[in-house]
Amino acid sequence: MIMAGATMDVNIVSADHPVWSGVAKSVLVPAYAGGMGILPGHEPVLSVIQEGPLVVTEPDGAKHSFEVTDGFISFDSNKLTVVVEHGRTMANQPIDETGIQ
Amino acid sequence: MGSQLALKGRIASTGSLEKIFNAQEMIAASHIAQAREVALNAKPYTDAIFDAVQTLVSHSHISHPIVKKEGDNPRVAVLALTADRGMAGAYTSSIIRETEDLLARLDEAGKEPELFVYGRRGVSYYKYRNRPLAQTWEGDTERPGVEVADAISRALLDAYMLPADQGGVSELYIVYTEFINMVVQKVRVLRMLPVEIIEDKDAQRPDPTATTAMPLYAFEPSLDEVLDAVLPKYVRSRIHECLLEAAASEVACRQNAMHTATENARELINDLTRKLNASRQASITQELTEIIGSADALNKKEE
Repeated sequence: MIMAGATMDVNIVSADHPVWSGVAKSVLVPAYAGGMGILPGHEPVLSVIQEGPLVVTEPDGAKHSFEVTDGFISFDSNKLTVVVEHGRTMANQPIDETGIQ
Repeated sequence: MGSQLALKGRIASTGSLEKIFNAQEMIAASHIAQAREVALNAKPYTDAIFDAVQTLVSHSHISHPIVKKEGDNPRVAVLALTADRGMAGAYTSSIIRETEDLLARLDEAGKEPELFVYGRRGVSYYKYRNRPLAQTWEGDTERPGVEVADAISRALLDAYMLPADQGGVSELYIVYTEFINMVVQKVRVLRMLPVEIIEDKDAQRPDPTATTAMPLYAFEPSLDEVLDAVLPKYVRSRIHECLLEAAASEVACRQNAMHTATENARELINDLTRKLNASRQASITQELTEIIGSADALNKKEE
């Protein structure tokens, strides 16, 4: 597939403001049946997500984690869009490799 | 010609009114920037939801009740977006006029409209006239947050999802003011429900009955559940969009109205000042004439 690169575009938006956007090499989302990892080149998917932590890993390994409420994600053409009701950055909270606190 | 004291009083009161109008105009001007920011912040969300709905439409024939409603239920819902405060020129009155038009049209078409109103002015207008209102919301019409949009869309979707025999409605119309630019705002009637989704012409997919074909998109947990999650959000974001546009229109209307009011007050002050000067001059002239006249009379006596 052409879209299978090392990175993908990520765009996280909440109902009243954009939360985060940038490039990432992996994203962990709280999907309806548990955590779901998304890597670049994932098959196109539209999935419902539930409340929980969302972790974005940037290409340099830096992790950002967000607390999101219910919403959905859509992945297409190597672009991940996370649409949630409310989302906020979890600041100063250490996260281990799995993203589970 | 009025007395000078009365004229001075009127000038003073018009002057203080002018100050109030001017302050209101400035407040409205500062709110415009805020309204624009809120609208810009909400746009990515609206766009993302719209994209998702387009994807869903291109993949399946949606038969969700939000898109298609069966049965001929005559009850319909009308939501009018008015202002909380006055001092916005014809903003609320033109919304009310359009709403009345729409209600009359719906009545003619044999429907039974139910009225939902947002904004204190509209609510008090209908309460005063003892019109039955299905539900009302007040507050924050200048800066409608997600919470307000959430409350409104939940109430309306609930009414829409109810079966006809339990008081459900079959359609939803929104009367709001479209923000075209700072000077022009137009009242519009929008049919919000059932949602009309225009299919993208380029995105023609193969026959959905061909189950063997690999779906381009994976829907998790299932297409129906994704629809259940996305469509109400779509409706809510559309309603929020209308609220934001109405808020921007309200602020712009208020700024224009207050600008005109300030100018009128200034004109009135100029007018009154002229009258005051004329009346002062008249009294001076009269006094002089009296003095000269009496001095003349005294001089004549001595001769």
